[in-house]
Order: sequence, then C-alpha cells, then structure tokens
Amino acid sequence: MTYSNNGFFDKFGGKYVAEIIRRPLDDLEEAFNKYIRDPEFLEELRVIQRDYIGRETPLYFAPTATELLGGAQIYIKLEGLANTGAHKINNAIGQCLLAKKMGKTRIIAETGAGQHGLATAAACAKLGLECVVYMGEVDVRRQQPNVATMEMYGAKVVPVTSGSRTLKDAVNEAMRDWATNFKNTHYVLGSALGPAPFPDIVRTFQSIIGEEVKRQAAERNIDIAAVVACVGGGSNSIGVFTPFINDANVRLIGAEAGGIGPNVGENASRMTGNASREGIVQGYKSRFLIDEDGQSLPTRSISAGLDYMGIGPQLAALGESGRVEFTSILDKEALEAVKFFARNEGILFALESAHAGAAAMKIAKELPKDKALVINMSGRGDKDIFITSPVFRPEKWKEFLKAELKRLDNNEDIHDAEIMNKK
Amino acid sequence: MNLMSHLIAGFPDEETSIAIADALVKGGANILEIQLAFSDPSADGPAIQTASTIALEKGYSTKQGLEVVKKIHERHPETPIYIMTYGSLAFTPGIENFVKMCKDAGVSACIIPDLPFDCDEGLTEACKKHGLENIPVAAPSMTKERLETMASKGFKYIYAALRAGTTGSETTIDQATLDFIDTVGKGGAKVLGGFGIRNGEQSKVLSKHVYAVVAGSVFVNIVLANENTDKGKALAIEQIEAKAKELTGLQ
Ligand SMILES: Cc1ncc(COP(=O)(O)O)c(C=O)c1O
Repeated sequence: MTYSNNGFFDKFGGKYVAEIIRRPLDDLEEAFNKYIRDPEFLEELRVIQRDYIGRETPLYFAPTATELLGGAQIYIKLEGLANTGAHKINNAIGQCLLAKKMGKTRIIAETGAGQHGLATAAACAKLGLECVVYMGEVDVRRQQPNVATMEMYGAKVVPVTSGSRTLKDAVNEAMRDWATNFKNTHYVLGSALGPAPFPDIVRTFQSIIGEEVKRQAAERNIDIAAVVACVGGGSNSIGVFTPFINDANVRLIGAEAGGIGPNVGENASRMTGNASREGIVQGYKSRFLIDEDGQSLPTRSISAGLDYMGIGPQLAALGESGRVEFTSILDKEALEAVKFFARNEGILFALESAHAGAAAMKIAKELPKDKALVINMSGRGDKDIFITSPVFRPEKWKEFLKAELKRLDNNEDIHDAEIMNKK
Repeated sequence: MNLMSHLIAGFPDEETSIAIADALVKGGANILEIQLAFSDPSADGPAIQTASTIALEKGYSTKQGLEVVKKIHERHPETPIYIMTYGSLAFTPGIENFVKMCKDAGVSACIIPDLPFDCDEGLTEACKKHGLENIPVAAPSMTKERLETMASKGFKYIYAALRAGTTGSETTIDQATLDFIDTVGKGGAKVLGGFGIRNGEQSKVLSKHVYAVVAGSVFVNIVLANENTDKGKALAIEQIEAKAKELTGLQ
C-alpha cells in the first residue's frame, strides 16, 4: 500500500468535506497528478532540493551511541540539516512550487509549533508568493521564536482565537480561508493527513527522505533491519518509510507522543494505549483522540509538533495491518534522548525527533549487531531552547530571561547592561 | 414565505436556547435548524464556532443537545426540526444509532455537510429507514457535473449555500446565484437557500426563488452580543423575534 485507492488507504482516508471545500481539493488533485509526471516540474524541484534545501541530507553513523546501546548499528538521517531545520521544508517547497504552477499567488498554512509555518514562509519568500500562516493563539504565545522568524521571512501570522486555540483550530481557520479564497490561494497542509489528495501529496514530497536512505544504504552496504521515526500527523515517518513498505525485511517503527501518562488528555497517542478511536474529523477518516460523541479531546506532549489529535490515514492503515509498529514515548524519555545524542554524538535532536531517538534506544538491543537501525531525525533542536533550557538549567535560564527583559525595558545595549557590570 | 431559522442547542444555555426557539417560531419561522455543537465546525464561520464552544463548555454535546431538541419539539410539535451537525458526531456513535437518537428527539431531517452525498457512510439509507430526510448541502463552487449529480439523486430537500464561503458574510442575489438555485432544484428537490441573510429585503428577494429562506448567523450574532447578562438574554430573545418577523415579512 503505497498510493491511496481513490483517496482511501484500506478503510481510512477519504474526502469528508463540505462541498464548499470540494472544488479546490479536486482541482489540486488534478494539478498534482499532472505536474508530478512533468519532467520540467520535477527538474525544477530537484534543483531547489539540492541548492536551497541542501539535499541530500547525511546518513550519519553514530559510533558512540552504537557502542553504548549495545545492539544494532545506529544510523541517523539528519533531516535537521535541511534548510529551516526540519523535514517540513520538503513538503512546503513541493506544494508551493505546485501552487505556483497552478497560477496561485497566495499561500496559506496552519502551524502548531511553527515548524511547518516557518518552512512555508521560507518557501514563499524564495518563490515570491504571499504567505499567511494561521496559528492558534496559545501556540503564538508559547512559540514566539518561530513567529518572529516567520515574520522575518515576510509571512503574516494570524493568531486563531476560536476553539482550543491550538493546531486543530488553525486547521479549521485555514480551511475557512481556503473555501472563500481558493481562486488565487493554495492551502499548504503540513502533514500527511487531512482530506484527499493531501495524504498522497505530502507523502510524495516527503518520500525523498526514504529514497535517499535507501540509496545511501545501498552505496555503503548498510543492511537495514529497522527504521524508526516520530509520528505527529505522520509526514516525516511516512516519508522515510515509503520506499521500505514492500520490503518485509525492514521493521518500520513509529514513535508517538506518550506525554506524561496513559490517560485522556495526558498524551497524543492514537495508535497505542486506549485513549483513541476511529472517527471522521477535519476531512478524513482515521484514528483520533475524540470522545464517545466524536468531540475532540485535549492532547498533551512536550513536543508541540506531536501534540495533535489525529494521525495520517495511511499510517493508521499500516498500523492496523501490522506493517508499521507503534510505540509511545514519554516526555521524560524524549528529554533523555535529546541529552544522550547531544552528549555522545554532538547531534541535537528536536523534541519531536527525540521520540524516535528514545524508541531506538529501547529497541537497539533487540537487533543484531551486523544490522542497521536508522533513526529519522526529522528536525534539529535549536528551536526547543525555550523548552529544554527551563528543564536542564532552570535557574540560569530564569536569570537570563529576567536580565534580558530588564535590558529591553531600559532600552540598553548589551555592553551597557547591568548584568555585564556584575563582578 | 418559509423561513428555516437556526439555533444551537444549549447556546448560550438550555433555557435561553429554548426561549430562542419559541421566539423564532413566534416570529414566523416554520422550520427550525438546530445545530448540535461540535468542537471543530470548519464549515461554519467564527460566530457559530464561538457559540458552539460555549455550548460545549456548558455540556451540550450530542445527548444533552438532543434533550434540548426534544423539549423544543414538545413545545412546537407542528414545526419540523432539522438537525445540523458534523460527520464526527454522526459517525462516532454509529450512523444508524445517531439517526435513531435524532428520531427519538423528534427530528425530521439531518444536515451534515462533511458527509458528502456520494460518500455518506450510509446516512441517507439510515435516514430513509427511520423516516427522516438527509439534506445535502450544495455550494456554488461545485462543478456543474457534480451539482447535477447531487440534484438528480432524489433528495427531497437540498440546502443551497449561496456563496463561495462559510456562514456569516453578506449575500448578494445575482444572476449566477439564481442560476445556481435553478440547477440545485433541477431534479425536483425543494431548495433551502441561505448563508449570510441579514435583513428583510434580502429574504424577500430570495424567497421568490427558494422553497425556504435559511437564516442562521444573524440570530447567533444577536445572542453573542447579549449573552453575558440575564437582561441581555431577554433583550436578545426580543430582538430575535423581531428579526424573524422582519425576515418573514410579518412586520
Ligand atoms: C521536527 C519535527 N518532527 C516531526 C514533526 C511531526 O510532524 P510529522 O508527523 O508530520 O512528521 C514536526 C511537526 O511540527 C516537527 O517539527
């Protein structure tokens, strides 16, 4: 199962949308099917991937981690080295280029943590498109660094004040905008979910991750036993898994957000535990964190990028068929993994990707030493400094923030600030 | 003329939503479209989203919402009630179960915009089985082919969303809109037309072309502007009755 059957992956997927949003989806599907076979489009995309995104990204052998974990050889696919710091740019560039071919001049996107918004804002700046990013008001408050960067790229960030004021509400708002403005506007959905054709489109643009891994492994005679990736909506995971789906020798493992525990509202685990059920929400059928009536439930994760109630329909299907195994990683395990790979390999995982890292730390020993375990590091962790610093060095961080605030209040240059004169 | 007017069960509270239904009926509404609040109403505008959030905070999800519906039905047994909600609330308990619950509450039709007529999870069939109508929602942006397919499916009613957008913006009744309404009704369906109706003049013009005029966010906005005090709620109910009268031409 690598491509949808008319929008469905087994029983999941579909195009469950009001007719007001049907036309833009059908138009998009038609354009995508045309351009993805157009050699000129593909060549243009390839050059941007090479020169702008910085592909291919390295497949790094992690010697110390391998030794410490005492099992399979650990390899890390460094998607965090892609421009803008995460895999999200693969999809953003692909869709923005497609939109441009379709004659659209305006791009809208939803974002939670801001990583997809950031990638879309950068892609729009590069391709000369107007960019509006919808972001829940709560997320705007807690992800200021990304808001600032999006604005630096020239995007307009619109805080969404409806509903729970987080990612899912940003999706609703983007859908509304699209329904009204689709004549000149394309909606760049950020993960491999939502109504068809988005799961197919996003997977296609993200599959370059897995294709590179496969090629790199073949070139270097690396024998892959398992690939592990974190799963929010599922774009980096389906991207790295896709070329391996039909290769039964490779275990595919998805790591979901286990948050702080197994109960409702404590995690964002759709495929493990028992907080989720089958449903139809935001245009597609999948597994969701919804209550017995079908209302969305609160979710929780230290990593904003995994903190979402739904999972892409293809992964839900691959999970139910058993092809993809799922595991759930607690906040504290993800933090440990960040530390482990930073100290031992000099590689700083994003908190999302650290869920994959943590899963690998658990299963490495189950795998033979002559085989490889590939971790997809979907993003790098610079963006998480406001979350990791308060955990790892709370006092120093507090002191820093207070001093910065004081300096800004007094409108002082850093050289003249009080903190510089403290002996 | 026929007016289908909209309210949300449990918004701003149970008592007031029942009083709103009373006011709408008194104002001449002869169909009530009652929305069951959903957490992610992406086909609705900000007014209805905000109102839905308030209803949910007060506990009016499916069961409690349908209890309100039942009470309204008991007060106005002669006024048909159409439930409007989203696919999630119909699919999660099981479509047929949901339709049965609606029937037990006195509902006579379902409007679920994100269960498309050609992929409705058995909604039309379940409605038929239990003596309800499934009312699909048509939009002007649909391709002619798709719209004609919908129109020819034998639906008794089709809801025509008269603008390429979500609820809440102004409606202009131009030739394109009139052509759209014609196509929607081509297969014999009675057309419920609305989205963005604000005043009596608009509804008067529109009523000549449709079976019933639909008005929704105009009423929700009145409540949203007044919901915080008891006095405000009483005022809102008065204004709603007056607005319904304006739209139906009773005044
Ligand atoms: C670095 C990183 N990894 C993973 C994700 C999760 O998304 P997905 O499951 O679509 O890859 C995000 C989302 O923001 C992210 O920023």
